[in-house]
Amino acid sequence: MFVAPLLALVAVWAVVVPLFDVNPRIFPSVASVANAALDTIRDGSLFRHIGASLLRVGLGTVIGVVTAVPLGIAMGVSPAISSFLTPLFRFFSVLAGIAWIPIATLWFGYGFGAIVFVIFNAVFFVVAYNTLLGVSTIPMTIRNAAASLGAGRWVMLTEVLLPGALPNIVTGVRTGLGFAWRGLIAAEMIATNVGLGYMLFVARDFYRTEVIVLGMIVIGLLWLLIDRLLLVPLERATIERWGLVRRT
Amino acid sequence: MKTLSLKNLQKTYFDPYAGSQVTAVHDVSLDVEQGEFVSVVGPSGCGKTTILNMIAGFIPYSGGEILLDGIAVNGPGPDRGVVFQSFALFPWKTVLDNVSFGPKIRGVPKAERDRIAREYLELAGLSHAADRYPNELSGGMQQRVGVVRALANNPAVLLMDEPFASVDAQTRMTLQEELTRIWQQRKPTVIFITHDVPEAVFLANRVVVLSKGRVLDQIKVDLPRPRVWDDLMQDETFKRLSSQVLQMVRSA
Repeated sequence: MFVAPLLALVAVWAVVVPLFDVNPRIFPSVASVANAALDTIRDGSLFRHIGASLLRVGLGTVIGVVTAVPLGIAMGVSPAISSFLTPLFRFFSVLAGIAWIPIATLWFGYGFGAIVFVIFNAVFFVVAYNTLLGVSTIPMTIRNAAASLGAGRWVMLTEVLLPGALPNIVTGVRTGLGFAWRGLIAAEMIATNVGLGYMLFVARDFYRTEVIVLGMIVIGLLWLLIDRLLLVPLERATIERWGLVRRT
Repeated sequence: MKTLSLKNLQKTYFDPYAGSQVTAVHDVSLDVEQGEFVSVVGPSGCGKTTILNMIAGFIPYSGGEILLDGIAVNGPGPDRGVVFQSFALFPWKTVLDNVSFGPKIRGVPKAERDRIAREYLELAGLSHAADRYPNELSGGMQQRVGVVRALANNPAVLLMDEPFASVDAQTRMTLQEELTRIWQQRKPTVIFITHDVPEAVFLANRVVVLSKGRVLDQIKVDLPRPRVWDDLMQDETFKRLSSQVLQMVRSA
């Protein structure tokens, strides 16, 4: 069920390109992309690019989540902190991600640091905001129940606020990772010499449309895999089991 | 021996819609004996839930005193267990972990607190549901968990805020019978808030009628226990007490 629409798209592509005799400089055939895939797998360059991209996304996301969740919870429990920071969040959320590439390259130089910073930035605001939302949607009666069973601040945080906000945190990570993934490709076109974005950008200089399309396919497929293998199972094991969201 | 004592309790708050101070509780004094089951009834807006929230420590009181075993109540604490109308179970914890939550916070080792929780689950006929999550249970079962979760923490007083108002009528009668049975076995001190007069009479040793933030009257209920609906529905004393309380509530 999951792969059928993707296969349909490939089928349309396989028919349309020879049918209209599309110039390979405009759009490549299925076969040439498959060949490009085999070539880049054989010489190891595809996995080098994928590895570099995944490492940056992974590190930036982890730093983003680890810093955003505590801040989001602090905002969720303190109206003062939240009303003070909300305008800043509005301001920065529209800037999150690629708008930071120029200044990030000045701070960190071209390469790893600048890109991880852009990823972190894309994830941070979305996750913090969603954590805040999650904490504020926990019913007061549940917090009262915990308090009347003897929960102090620490227990309230770890046993009530964190799990209660988890559905929104997961949504935030999912949205943030989506932003991060786009930000990553953009940043890699500018600020590095390895990674999927770089692979796309260099291929353009040589009119290698088959490598460009291969790169785009890999970017999309990797995202689907991250979502299916990481985020969906996480949701299923926790918040769906608890009945906090309905399975769609 | 009295365990809970309300002295000239008062609550006023600012109503942003009316733009003025509103008095929800004028002057309520009430003593509750250890092991007593007290029902508090009254029409909507009589202040019964406000009083319970003040005893629980969820909201501060504006005047008077709340003493539990002689010590003034200040904020929520494990000496006052609460059963909520909306159940308020932790959706992310299994039934067993919900019930053992109080003992866990007190630092009871895992094996011991699981034993306590299972004992209470058995008391409520829920042993089979220990490993399930609250959303997998019916409303009636969820509230059974709510009751034993509070009891398992061994509170000095159990505060129940219209706990059976959101379950269907048949389940409600079963839960009421189970609650009287559990009360007889464990003898917790209970304050039970309700607007359902037969429920109040069925459960309690004493019914307190509230009106407009004041105690209107109190009635002792000396019906024999165990109490079951099949017997009491035809019982003359029960009918007389119920209509007596009902008249008070309606005139309130």
